[in-house]
Amino acid sequence: MTATVVAALLWLTFVKATPIVYAALGGVVSERSGVVNVGLEGMMTIGAFSAVAVSRATGDPWIGLVAGVVAGALAGAVLGWAATRWKVDQIVAGMGINLVCAGAAAYGLVLLYGQPGASPQVPSLGEAYRVLVWFALVLAIAFQWWLHRTVAGLRVRACGENPHAVAAAGFDPLGVRLQMVTWSGALAGLGGAFLSIGEVNLFSDGMTAGRGFIALAAVIFGRWTPLGAAAAAVAFGFFEALQFVVQGRVPWLSANLVQAAPYVAALIALAGATGRVRPPAADGVPY
Amino acid sequence: MRLRVLTGPLGAVAIVVVLGSATMLAAGVSPIVGFAALVGGALGGRQQIAETLVQTTALLFPALGICLAFRGGLFNIGAEGQLLAGGLCAAAAGIHAFAPAPLEIAAVLCAGALGGAAWGAIAGMMKARLQASEIISTLMLNFVALFAAQYLVNGPLRAPHAAGPETAALAPQAVLPVLIPQTRLTIALPLAVLLAIVLQFVLSRTTYGFALRALGDAPEAARRNGIAVARTTWTALALSGACAGLGGAAIVMGELHRFNTQLSPGYGFIAIAVALVGDLQPLWVCLSALAFGMLQSGGLAMQAIAQVPKDAIGVIEGVIVLVLAARRYIVTKKEIAAA
Repeated sequence: MTATVVAALLWLTFVKATPIVYAALGGVVSERSGVVNVGLEGMMTIGAFSAVAVSRATGDPWIGLVAGVVAGALAGAVLGWAATRWKVDQIVAGMGINLVCAGAAAYGLVLLYGQPGASPQVPSLGEAYRVLVWFALVLAIAFQWWLHRTVAGLRVRACGENPHAVAAAGFDPLGVRLQMVTWSGALAGLGGAFLSIGEVNLFSDGMTAGRGFIALAAVIFGRWTPLGAAAAAVAFGFFEALQFVVQGRVPWLSANLVQAAPYVAALIALAGATGRVRPPAADGVPY
Repeated sequence: MRLRVLTGPLGAVAIVVVLGSATMLAAGVSPIVGFAALVGGALGGRQQIAETLVQTTALLFPALGICLAFRGGLFNIGAEGQLLAGGLCAAAAGIHAFAPAPLEIAAVLCAGALGGAAWGAIAGMMKARLQASEIISTLMLNFVALFAAQYLVNGPLRAPHAAGPETAALAPQAVLPVLIPQTRLTIALPLAVLLAIVLQFVLSRTTYGFALRALGDAPEAARRNGIAVARTTWTALALSGACAGLGGAAIVMGELHRFNTQLSPGYGFIAIAVALVGDLQPLWVCLSALAFGMLQSGGLAMQAIAQVPKDAIGVIEGVIVLVLAARRYIVTKKEIAAA
């Protein structure tokens, strides 16, 4: 009995962590290149919605998954463009992206299905969603290697530390940043698509529920490294999984309070981590 | 200077026209019909104008808070949570009748401001003492506020015989007096404008305002010149939260007469757009809030009459934020180049 509960909790932890891991990896590549991506939440939302819309239109959830990634990448490219070409305030622009994406998804719901709140059920990935859970962990390891052991990764990190040096070496820091924010959006879109056609088979308003923001906390707690951020995301996933295990077993504990657990955990992690960790020197500074 | 105040609003109007037309066409509605419904819904009659001003009030309080924090270089993105905290505290105080009307109203408004201030001060303390990014802490606190409020209206604060999760109705003397009979427009609007005047004065004419602006424009210079960075930081976030909290209290005391967690359709986030269009200057923010109030109340009519989903308004507001995010930085850079 206890063993099965522990096993279920462990698996659920990884499932709940998966969208946060993808978004957090997106946050890492973006911030290491020098752009703070507060728009992760919106990029997840638009990814989740596009995956559902295309999956329903084509009947193939895998095409839906690709659509989710592309939609996230587009939103990322918009932020990247604004951050590199217009030199916007990245935090404010990211919040703008969040408003646009949430509005666009809600607008699309009414336009496509004539109903606010939630989409009809669509073809989902079914059991294949497990592949995406493992892929998230593989991706974290791959990004760790890429960012720290390859020349391209070094260039990305240099853009986040000292873009002027990158320019002096003959490379274009703005191009690198634009690319990285676009990838960041693609990863967030993948996380969103996992939520809508991986874990369930529909899109509902507000289904990302702040996971993109939790991913930002995971980036800090993970010291801006892919593996660290993924590990932090798994820790936050644990608190999310906990509510499904606790529910019904501990009657005196309010469901609402348990729901708040991942956010409180992120707050405490943030308070504990900062001061001891250092962001990339040019993180959030327009070049 | 004059031009700078104008570029924001003009850009915003252009975005509303272009993007509004696009979303209306996508929904298969002629932009003329759509905008007619939008304007009619915002200004079509006494009731509509009153509702526009109600929305203006709800946006103005959190926008003033954001204005204050942003001027100090503090990204308070937690106005939504602070508004909820303020509304909840106001309701918790206002369900008891404990004083004659003017006193009770003042006390309940204070409770709302304190609730918002407390919520803002958490992020402020984390920033001042631990250098924890206020961006993420305020974002997280939004969700904590929402779930905590849901817990309270489902449990301890739930009205005994309520149909849904909400608190009991306010005591009659805690309800704000109505300005125009048979509408929901209350004295909260003049209070919000008064707050804007006070904030404009504080920002431009007081030592505290100077310290805050110095912190926003040149943090290193501020620190080296002996400005108390930690104290200015946490008090600014607390004051910012107090403004948003007053907004929550105004909604509870003027519109709903009780608290439930659906009281805000994202006012705290839309208020970012309001503050930016108003160039982070409290008095201009009043006009900006009026414009966004028209969008909010007109959006509902647009949906009902012209069948354009009201969420199109959200897209428009987001694009305004995105485009105006460029402005302040560019302006600062130009001013530095000119100096």
